[in-house]
Amino acid sequence: MTPIFNSTSWMMRQVIYALALGVMAAYYFFGWGVLLQIVLGVVTAIAVESAFLALRGRDVISSISDGSVVLTAILLAISIPSIAPWWVIVVGVSFAIIFGKQLYGGLGNNPFNPAMLGYVFLLISYPLQMSTWQIDFLSLSQALDVVFDLSNIDVISGATKLDEVKNGLSLAGSIQQLDLHSPSQAWINAGFLLGGLYLLFRKVIFWQIPAAFLAGIVISSILLSVSNTDLYLPTQNHLMLGGTMLGAFFIATDPVSASTTPKGRIIYGFLIGVLIVIIRTFGGYPDGIAFAVLLMNMTVPLIDSFTQPKVFGR
Amino acid sequence: MADYSFNGGIVISNPYPVDKVEIIQAPLPKKVTIPLQQRIGERAKPCVSVGDYVLTGQVIASTKDSFGVFIHASVSGVVLSINEQVIPHKLGLKSQCITIESDGKDKWIDNSGCGIDFLHCSAQTMIDYIQKSGIVGLGGAGFPTHAKLGKIKQCHTLIINGTECEPGVMCDDALMQLHPREIIRGVEILLHICGAKRAIIAIEDDKQAAYQALLMFNHNDRISISQIPTKYTSGAEKLLIKALLGVEISSGGFAVDRGIACQNVATTKAVFDAVVDHKPLVSRIVTVTGSGVKPNNFEVRLGTSFKSLISMASPNQKAHDYRMGGMMMGVDVADIQAPICKITNAIFVNNHIHKPAIQECIRCGQCSEVCPVGLLPQQLYWHAKSENIEKAINYNLFDCIECACCDYVCPSHILLANYFSFAKALNKQQTREQDRINIARERFEFREYRLERNKLERVQMMADKKKALKEKMAKEQSQKQKIAKAMQRVQQAKDKKNDTNI
Repeated sequence: MTPIFNSTSWMMRQVIYALALGVMAAYYFFGWGVLLQIVLGVVTAIAVESAFLALRGRDVISSISDGSVVLTAILLAISIPSIAPWWVIVVGVSFAIIFGKQLYGGLGNNPFNPAMLGYVFLLISYPLQMSTWQIDFLSLSQALDVVFDLSNIDVISGATKLDEVKNGLSLAGSIQQLDLHSPSQAWINAGFLLGGLYLLFRKVIFWQIPAAFLAGIVISSILLSVSNTDLYLPTQNHLMLGGTMLGAFFIATDPVSASTTPKGRIIYGFLIGVLIVIIRTFGGYPDGIAFAVLLMNMTVPLIDSFTQPKVFGR
Repeated sequence: MADYSFNGGIVISNPYPVDKVEIIQAPLPKKVTIPLQQRIGERAKPCVSVGDYVLTGQVIASTKDSFGVFIHASVSGVVLSINEQVIPHKLGLKSQCITIESDGKDKWIDNSGCGIDFLHCSAQTMIDYIQKSGIVGLGGAGFPTHAKLGKIKQCHTLIINGTECEPGVMCDDALMQLHPREIIRGVEILLHICGAKRAIIAIEDDKQAAYQALLMFNHNDRISISQIPTKYTSGAEKLLIKALLGVEISSGGFAVDRGIACQNVATTKAVFDAVVDHKPLVSRIVTVTGSGVKPNNFEVRLGTSFKSLISMASPNQKAHDYRMGGMMMGVDVADIQAPICKITNAIFVNNHIHKPAIQECIRCGQCSEVCPVGLLPQQLYWHAKSENIEKAINYNLFDCIECACCDYVCPSHILLANYFSFAKALNKQQTREQDRINIARERFEFREYRLERNKLERVQMMADKKKALKEKMAKEQSQKQKIAKAMQRVQQAKDKKNDTNI
């Protein structure tokens, strides 16, 4: 007899496997920096979590082996620029684990998505390091040089397309004059989309959150671009730029901090999608996924209590 | 095929399948131990004494309680003792039992010509007869059959539950395959008792042999046989009614109030045996299964010990872990000297559903996906764990049927259903405690009031007495004065007379 799931760690591993395609796409375009950040993040996460579990007198091995902390580290590592200095990911992951998770009592008790909490902390504290993305593929030695600041090498770096929209729009005057073509982001998004579909297929995540998340983006971006096509980003760019697919399938679906009722998941996902478009369009930061997710994390208890499913016979 | 369904539930195939479903007649036990306490109702009172010789089927304990059932000797022999014995219970608790040593002859009470002509009996006569035959729900719940039948008013549909409550249990399947005629006749008897227009026998669609067998023997157009999809918890009464009729019995409500009667197939067979053959309930079919034995069904006399029944199922050397009931809702039995009871539908030996170490709940929501009642076990768990029972009740704790589907799918291996039964027990205890506190407070307040009242009364009484005394004294005084005055007048008159005489 095989239960539907083997364990929580099995679920976490499935999510990590599902991330592989998107990570491979990112590696293809940006090179070794991507993997370096992941390694740094995972090592830091395991060290910090172990230390804290030991301090709290918990069983270190069994908690580490559930894989949740590795997943948090990977999610944060692929969200930050791959040329960010090594201490950025170390500080970010440490913050995510300590303030996002352990201080609330560890796995299952955190009201916020730890990876996004770490991301926002970094974004606010180190805006420069967090907004410089490279353009080229980096070899391992190049990546080591950049990340550990070993020698002065030149990396062609720049802003992301979403940044360009934010800054370039005032100069260009209309969206149509901007070059929004970005194969790297489109491929990475496609990779995460496929990984997400795999998770749906394995029933590790439920369809409501990603579907509502994407619907929220589609509907609100259509409404905006209909109102003024020159000013607002078209829907397909919203879907294929930034971390949209990663957010829809891997971040908003974090079970611990997301809504848990079927109806609640729809509301939760939809509002995240809408908030992302609003933040991208009117907010001060280029991509709004982290803020949107954290804002909606706060509303989860309220959503859950208002969307209890119908109980048999009531 | 049933047209309706219910949400949730899980599909689990029989983890210990057999080639051919059969029923083995277990040899007569040397000794039977029969508990006097059935699942609900008052404990029956013994009507035999130690040393008495009893016949198989003889009443050995009776009851006047409306939920109680009569208890019969399951073998002929001598009553050895009437005392506390181990019963099947996870804590190995003891209960009052009658122990009979078998004489190996299995001599029955004379039942020739005792079968009642049910077509010419009133429903009440039949119901009383069923109570005297000691029949309870044999699906595992053990609710007294007569009590259920007695509650039905204006019954329109009788449902015969042949769905087999849990994966791995095969006793109802075997019964339907091997005794279809008796079951159909039993259904007719029950139809007569509850006055329903139609009966539906519900069978899961993986039990084709049982379905075909019943179909072949059913010549009554009031009885239909319906297949429902094989899904765990479809044996639960309310969910079965939903699946068959699309009727949702309200929370806290009963099927009988909606004119629907529900009986298990084994109960139906027992009714047939009692009414037609005049055989009270002295045996039942028990599935013995699990990785520690060779799975099979046994027809066994009530009161046979678990141990002797298990020894018939060729247990292997490693047999050590015993569970009564199904693998999902059953209870672990600590002591296998415990007897087979009317509710013992199955024994699992070395059931390998035991899960690895428990991890933290990550609120993945798989539990609420499978909950057939539509609860949110992850939220309930949160409140049950923190003993916030009021909150748990708001999340409909008492609608939980403890089917353990949530346990089965939980990736963190949390035994959720245990938490919920714990929370329910805690609530009952708290309610009792609160009641006790309320009663004590009321009593105290009344005492205070009584003392105060007595004090006031005493004061009033004293005042009244004083007043009365005063009045009396005043009256006496005035009388005295009157007398004195009269005396004075007399004296004066005397003096006057004397004066004149001088």
